[in-house]
This record gives sequence, structure tokens and C-alpha cells, in this order.
Amino acid sequence: MAPLRGPGTGFAIRPEGERASGLPAEFPEESEFDVVVIGGGPNGLIAGAYLSRSGLRTLVVERRQEIGGGLATEETLFPGFYTNPHAVYHMMTDYLPVLQDFGLGRHGLNFVKPNAQLAAVFSDHTSLVLCRQVEDSKDSIAKVSPSDAREFGKVMRSWRRSVEEILAPGTYLPPLSPVEMTEALGRTEAGEELLRLTEMSPIEIIDEHFGNDRVRMLLLYAACMWGLHPDEPGLGFMVPLLVERATNKAVCYGGSHRLAGALSREILAAGGIVLDNSEVTRVVVEGGHVTGVECFDGRLIRAKAVLSSLPPPQTFGELVDGSEVPDELSDAARRWEWDQWSFFTMSLATSEWPWYDTDDPWANDAFMTVLGFDSTDQLREHWRTVLNGDVGAGLGGHVTVETRYDPTLPRVPGHDVAFFQMHAPYALRGGWEARSEEIGLQVLQTWQRYAPSLTADTIVRKSIETPVDIETRLASMVHGSIKHGAYNPLQMGVFRPHDSCQAGRTPIEGLYLCGASAFPGGLVTGGPGYIAAGSVVGDLGAGKWWDEPRYIQRYRERYLS
Amino acid sequence: MQEEHFDIVVIGGGHNGTTIAAYLSKCGLSVCIVEARPECGGGQENTEVRPGFRIDPHATYLYGGAAPGFEQLELWRYGFRQVYYPSMAGLVTLDGKAANLGGRFSPGLAEQSLAALGVEGGIAGGFLSSMDPGATKELLRALFWTPPHPPTAEVDPADMPWWQVFRKHMAPLWSERLLDMSYVDFLEEFVAWEPLRTFGAFAAWYCGAHPSWDGMALQSLGGTMLYSYSSGSPRGGMHTYAHAIIRAALAKGTRILTNAPVEEIVVHNGRAVGVRLSADAAFPEKTIWADKAVISAVDVQSTFLRLVGNRHLDHGFLQAVSDISLKGGSLWVMSVICRELPKYHGRDEWFPTEVYPSCVVAPADSMESFHAQTRDAYSFRRLPQDLSPEHLTMMICAHDMYDTTRCVEGYHVLSPIYLECPPPEYDVTGPDGYNRQKAEVTKAALDLLGEMAPNMRGDNIVDVFVNTPLDSEFRNTGMTGGNWYAARQDSDQWFSNRPLADLARYRTPIESLYMCHQTMHPGGLCLMAVPYNLMHILINDGIAQPGSWWYPSPWYMADGASHLAGHGAGL
Repeated sequence: MAPLRGPGTGFAIRPEGERASGLPAEFPEESEFDVVVIGGGPNGLIAGAYLSRSGLRTLVVERRQEIGGGLATEETLFPGFYTNPHAVYHMMTDYLPVLQDFGLGRHGLNFVKPNAQLAAVFSDHTSLVLCRQVEDSKDSIAKVSPSDAREFGKVMRSWRRSVEEILAPGTYLPPLSPVEMTEALGRTEAGEELLRLTEMSPIEIIDEHFGNDRVRMLLLYAACMWGLHPDEPGLGFMVPLLVERATNKAVCYGGSHRLAGALSREILAAGGIVLDNSEVTRVVVEGGHVTGVECFDGRLIRAKAVLSSLPPPQTFGELVDGSEVPDELSDAARRWEWDQWSFFTMSLATSEWPWYDTDDPWANDAFMTVLGFDSTDQLREHWRTVLNGDVGAGLGGHVTVETRYDPTLPRVPGHDVAFFQMHAPYALRGGWEARSEEIGLQVLQTWQRYAPSLTADTIVRKSIETPVDIETRLASMVHGSIKHGAYNPLQMGVFRPHDSCQAGRTPIEGLYLCGASAFPGGLVTGGPGYIAAGSVVGDLGAGKWWDEPRYIQRYRERYLS
Repeated sequence: MQEEHFDIVVIGGGHNGTTIAAYLSKCGLSVCIVEARPECGGGQENTEVRPGFRIDPHATYLYGGAAPGFEQLELWRYGFRQVYYPSMAGLVTLDGKAANLGGRFSPGLAEQSLAALGVEGGIAGGFLSSMDPGATKELLRALFWTPPHPPTAEVDPADMPWWQVFRKHMAPLWSERLLDMSYVDFLEEFVAWEPLRTFGAFAAWYCGAHPSWDGMALQSLGGTMLYSYSSGSPRGGMHTYAHAIIRAALAKGTRILTNAPVEEIVVHNGRAVGVRLSADAAFPEKTIWADKAVISAVDVQSTFLRLVGNRHLDHGFLQAVSDISLKGGSLWVMSVICRELPKYHGRDEWFPTEVYPSCVVAPADSMESFHAQTRDAYSFRRLPQDLSPEHLTMMICAHDMYDTTRCVEGYHVLSPIYLECPPPEYDVTGPDGYNRQKAEVTKAALDLLGEMAPNMRGDNIVDVFVNTPLDSEFRNTGMTGGNWYAARQDSDQWFSNRPLADLARYRTPIESLYMCHQTMHPGGLCLMAVPYNLMHILINDGIAQPGSWWYPSPWYMADGASHLAGHGAGL
């Protein structure tokens, strides 16, 4: 007796005829929208929200069971303890246009930006604490170097101006070509300084200003932790952005997933649809023009425009038929470089606060605390080991006690959740499966050196996520690439992801890019989704209902007019 | 203090709260859901406890396939999809027998499997696959999608909707004795082979209808029919079904506030007028006013003992509320990640991959293991004292053979694996009794699994996760007692008595406060039934005016009516 099987799917029976009568109706085999967005991460949702409100009938399709991509808040310490396994540090909440354009606060979206932002605790129990309020940072730095404290004040004033005037607005506009950029930035002193920094490496920029090695270590960590190579010139203009934003990070109260929830509510309220648990397997191109997508279960969804938030090897190598992709673009997609390093994270639920034995109680309030490095040499040695595909004895990383600013995460009263995260290679010598336990133990021992209350008795649950796990949870983060691809001069600016793809448009008519592999990149800036939405609305002749924020208008007036 | 005004405020964004919000938004009312947790969905959860692996800590199968809500709320538009399984159930005994009981989409499989054992299946063998879908749907709607009768109704068998349908379609079994039977009595009368009886008892139990309750045989049978009628699970698990409901509500304009625990239901002059959020809510709006009604989709005890409080209620009522029994639905849930599915007694041929039973009761040798576990849970109120295979029976579920979205290729997830245990509140060793013995019970359960299926040992077990009833209470604030249907579904707490006669019609002693939680008729299982039934009352009370998409239950009795006669859809 042959049981019923679905046609070719191997997993889904779809009863037909008499057997199907009376069963609940399902999402249709074929449907039609104006726009389909592939991937329901922050950028896909941002694009979807703008497009949906433009009156375009919009569908966001997500492979996972839960939208949000890196905006995840999940019970990784099961049962009873939630964590944010990906995006925790929201660095652009001061600028993200979507927050104002949609008034997302209405959905209870609540960003908490603590004063104590970035600390380091050293093996001699001393500490440095960098704060949102610069004078507090200077006070802490002055413990080790009064001259560095003074310099920090001056540098941060200058870098803050660069961020406000140039770098933040530039995040939400299509990129300038190198020639255009030289012309535009040449107009002001702040601009010229950024052009100068561009040709420097992060380490050169830090060394230029600061003498104390512990101060340098902490600032280098802030500048490079998201994937800038410490020694490579070409992206030095990002150092002011990353360091200034490292002291302006915000927690999403209730978990980062709330941002995804708020965006999906806007999409639905405007008549759009969010479909999860649906992997898109093909972008349908007919006569050189995109006409829709096909899902893994054979469902066909027609659309005038398709936005992909996936990285180039997936978009151009897997979803679109090779014959439709210009050779130059498919070569570039094949050569795409993944992030230079990924992360290894250990999360703990504890019955006691994992406090640090240190000289400044504010280190315990810090949103992020670097542990394990007393000098730039130690930090750079760790990074060198990681870039060579290994993790050595001198490991270190950053710790966040998530409950410090979001007490909602543990469902069991009286407990805390915290994680230790460190840079780690995807292709680890010996393999993650064989070594994750050993490395986990090393991480825990490192953490315990600084936080004596972490003992076998106080740790109630533990989970480990390796770079391979990152890729497993979120398939677009290939090789654990949280930014969908390395930040290097050949993959940034107009080259992200390729110079034939600008402002989200691609050489294939109707296909757009809106993910972290498009300009300006990842880290929940929301830039790619915002920029792509602007292009699609224009190309489809829908009304652009939003105005640019004032800080972007000022940038246009000063640098682009 | 900021304020917001709505027609309706719904407390709790679980299955019932989101469904009633979707219904009322579709009626054009302004509706706000306030949910304590970061995410709506309540017990409809699938947790990715390990990258790529999703377990079912609570709800696992679709029971509500016969619900009017699917079409009335057009859940298909919002992504609802179901996977139908070729085999829903099987049993294995310690003494080396196994039966594949198939399901409605593999006709003949159960009969064939039982015949090979030389066993007479009786009513259970092949019963589930041979049901007429139309008759089944009618019976299920009479049992579950019909509001309890008003207090004026007579309690004559002729007034019981399900009895009318049962008599109409299953005349050979017709006897009024059935109305007094427990499901155990029923199985003893109609099912000869003891393992099949044991299977039936456990299946009913996990479907929310404990088989030892007198007078509940038909409801227990109905519970298992809910399971076999829908024969599968929403693709990706029950949380995707929650997403469809939530999105149906949002698309119709429902406002959902998450991380918004309620501190108090505001009562003025005996009338519920809104809710006050607690200080740790993610919102500056601390009071949310409800112009037409407050609907509580949290359990009855929390609603009255905590949110309304004793100032507004009389002591007799409060005592009756605090005495509502939580027994019956507290489960110890284990999830096992493994490389191979269990090969029971090492035999491949029993359960080939293409018809591997999604849920296996093992060991099913004797009803004594069922009775022993019941006594431990409810009489001695403690962990099972004897954890030997003869005294422990598990229900072992798996979905990924048919729904590959649930785990990484090359692996399987056995989730949930159930054992019955007392609600923490009743555990004589203390509310954390089970938690203290988690390791011991986990080991016993894994040993038993290894005993039944020799390949379930050593390297084949990759990871194990457990949530006890106490864990479930913390995880899921609406699950008082860790009880999956909130209150015992026995005849004292069923239909017009559920959970108390005073509350059965979803109205409460507080004017404009209505109940919409699984504590109400017909209980749990994510049926969209409590909200559907409540809709009748809200329409009657002039609060909701649905469009032509709405249809009521043909067995609905208006206030003041005494007999069903004439209401019974042409019966």
C-alpha cells in the first residue's frame, strides 16, 4: 500500500480531491504581488515597510521560522532564559531614519543607551571605562594617562562632528565614487580629515593620537572588532564612525527582535504580507526582466520587482539563472570574500551577577567589557592567530551582561544572562565540532579570572555558538559572516557588492539588492534597505511618501549641491 | 501618565487572545492586545534550542483543523500551511510487538498492521482512518465549537449537541450508557488487545482528555479525533500557525503591545474599564482604557485572584475560583536530538521511513503502567516512585520525517517526549520537586528509550532538553500548573460547568469583563474554539457585529432557552 506523498517535495503531503475537502485552506500555490523581498532581516523588513506604505503590495519572504535575521531574541538557554544571539549593540539608533519615519516608538520600541559603554578590565584588576559622556571617559583615561585623556576629548569632538556631518548621512545615501568623494569632502576641514584618514590603517590612526598602551588596546578593539583589519589602509574613514558609535550603543529593551516585530507590524498594517518558513529557491527572470520568485515547495509568487537581501554568491550564483547574470558580475560574486573573522559566543544564565573584581564599579555597569588583553600586542597576537585559522591560549573578547539593561530576558526571577564573545575563524584548525568544548572551557576560565562569582554553583545554564552555528541559524551569514562579506577597500563604497550594482539596482531589470552585502554594509545600519526602497519606489512610479531626515538634507546642501 | 483608548482590550497574546482580537478587529472594532512576554503565541512555540534544531516545548500537533476560524479569519492569506503526515501513530510493547496505526491519509495501514499481529482492532483499529470526514467535522464542531448552554437549559441527553451527532452518524455504538462512561470503560468494552487500549488511554490523555474521568468517554474520543482529523502539524511547527493568527489580527488593525505585563484590571462601579500596565512594561502608556469590553485571555485564577482582586468579588466566588482543579494536563517534556530515529527492538521493517509514525506510545504493554502513573501524579502527587520500564510509558513524537524545516539534515528531533506528572502546586515534595529530580527522570526516560530502541544509546543521542511543568509555568505565564489546558477537563469542569457554572458563558461577575482562555470551554489544544464560542456571546451582548463572513454554531442556545430542539441543524 503506497502512502500519499507530495509531488517531488519529499516532505509535504497535500491531500487532494475528496480527502482535502474540509481541510483548512493554505497559502496559495501561485500569487501576485508588486514587490517581493527575499529575506526578513533588518534590511528586508525596512525595505518592506517603506514599500508597503508606498502603496505597493509587498511580500517579505523569510527562510527561517522567525523573521528578524540578526534581530533575534531567542530562548537559547532553554528553558527559561532568552538572549540576543546576534544583534545586541544598536549603534545607529540616533540616525536610523525608519525609527522616525514610522514612529516605531509607538510599538514600545525602546532603546536604552547607557552612559557606561565600553570598559576593559585588566589582569591587575584595574580598568578603563569609556562612556557616552566624554568627560567621564576622560576621567577614567586620566588614571593612566592625563595626556591621552586630554587628547581623547579633542579627538572625540572632531570624530563626532565627522559622524554627524558626513558619515551618518552617507550611510543612508547611495555611495559616491572615489572621484566624487574627493570633490565633496574637499569642501570642509572635517571632510579633508576623513580623506586623510582613509589612507591610514586603524592602528596608525590610534597610534597617531594615543600613547598609553591600554588606552590604545581598547580603542583599537573598538575600531576593529566589527571586522576592519588593524593594519590595512583604505578604510580609515570608518575608524571615527566605529569608535564614536562604540560609545553610543543602545540596547533594545525587551530584546532586539522587537525592532523586527515593530517593522512587520508596519508592513501588515499597510496591507503587506510576511511569509516565514519559506525559502526562496529561484528568482524567475523572463525576457531579461524579473517576474517573481519560486519557493522551495514549488510555490510561485509573481512580482514586478524582487529585492534580495542575500549576499552576491547566493543572489547571483544560486537564485538567478547564470545565463541572466553579466559575466563580470558573476565573476565578482564568485570571488566575494566573506568576513575576515566571525564570532564564538558563550552565553550563561547565572544565579549570581557576574561582577568584576576591579577598581571602578562603573566597569560593572558597562554595556560591553573587554577582557583578556593587557596590551595591544596581546590583542594583536589573538587577532593574528584568528586570522591564521586558530584560537590560542591568549584569547580574549568582550562580555555583556544582557540583564543589566534589559531585565526582561530571564523568565526565572533572580537570574542574569550574560555572554562572552570573541573573534574566531570559521575554518578553525581541527574543526569546531572537535574543538568547541575545549575552546569553550578556555573562554570560561578566562572570564572566571575576572569575574570570581562565576562558579559551577552559580552557572545554571550554558550555551555555545560557533561560527558554524551562526551560519546554521542564519544561512545568509555564510562562514559566520555577520556582515555578509568582508569590509575591505574592494568590497566597500561603490564596490559593495560590485560597481554594476548601485543604489540597490542590478544589471538585471527588476532585481534589487537590499542586504548587508550592498552599500553601506551590515551591523543593523538599515542603510541598504532604506536606499533600495528609495530606488524601487522611484522605478515603479509609486509615490515617495517620506522626507529625508534633516541631518541628511544638511549633508546634501553642504557636500553634494 | 499616558493613556490609550480602544473598544476592546485583550489581556494575553496567546492562541485565544490573538484569535479573539483577529475576530473583533475584523468586526471593525479597535482592539489592543497586551502581552507580558516578548512574543505572542503562548503555547504555540518552537524553540531553536540549538542552531538548526527546533523543539516543541508545548503545542505540537494541529488539533483545530475543523475550526471555523481558518476560513472566517482567512488564515491562508497570512501564510498558514499544513503538513499532513502519512502515519500519525504507532505503539510498541516491551515484549516485542509493534503496530503502525497510520492515519486518515493512509487507509488500510492500521488494519494491515494489526492483522499481521493477529490482533482484532475493534473500534480502535482502523477507526481513525475510516472516519467519514464530514461526519467527523460535524461531531467535532458539536463538541468543541459550540458555546456552553445557558443556565436555563435542561440537561437531557437530547440537548447535548455532540450526542445528537454521535447518534446520527454512529448508530451501531449508540447507547446512553456511553454518556456515563470513562474512556477507560469505553476502551475496555470496545478494544480487545491491551496494548491498543493502553495506546488509546495515553493518546486521549495527551489530547487533553484524561481517560479515567467518568462521563467523559465521548469527549476523550473526540480529543483523539481532533488529532487524527487534522493529521499533522503546521509546516515549521505550531508557532507558524500563531504567526498566521497574529498577522491576521495585525492586518485588520489590532494593536499588539508585547513586553506589557498587566498589573491590574481597572474596575469602576463593578464594570471593567481598562487595564493598568506594570512599571517594567516597555511602554510609557500605563493605562489602556477599554470602552466596550476587557477580555481576559489569561487563566481564570490569575484573572480574578490577581488582576481583579478580592475588593470587587464575593468570597464564595473567590473560593470557587481558587478551587478550580489544575490536575490533568501537567507534562514533563523531553526533547532529544539524535542521528537516527528510534529503531524499536532493532527492527527496520516495522516503521519504514515513509510511514514512520509521528507519535509512538511505548511501552504499551499494559494498562497498569497507565494507572500507576495516574496514581503517582494525582493520588500520591509526586514523581513516579518506580521508574522501571513496566511502570513508565512515554509518548515519543517526531515531525522532521515529514517536515524537513525542523532540523539539520542528517539528524532528527524527537520532540516532545511526554511523561505525566503532578502540577507543581500539588507536588507533596514541593513545587520544584520535579526540577530537583530532573537528572534522575531524564536518565530513566533515556534508559527506557534505549531499552525499547537499542540504537538510542551512546553517540546517537546528541543533545537532550527538558521542560518540567514548573519550567513551563515560568516560560509561559498563562500556563498555571504547567497545565496544558489550564483546568481539569472532567465533567465537573466541562461545557456548562467549565470552569464554574457561573463563568461558563464567558461572562464574569464583573460587567464588561469576558473570559477567553483555555480555562473555558472547550479547553486547550489551540482550537480557536474559545474565541469562536465567545463571539456568540459578544454578538448577543451587542458588542460585536460581524459581517457576512460569520456563521454561528447550529447548536448555539440563546440566553433563556431551555431546549436545543429546533436548533440542531436539521437533526
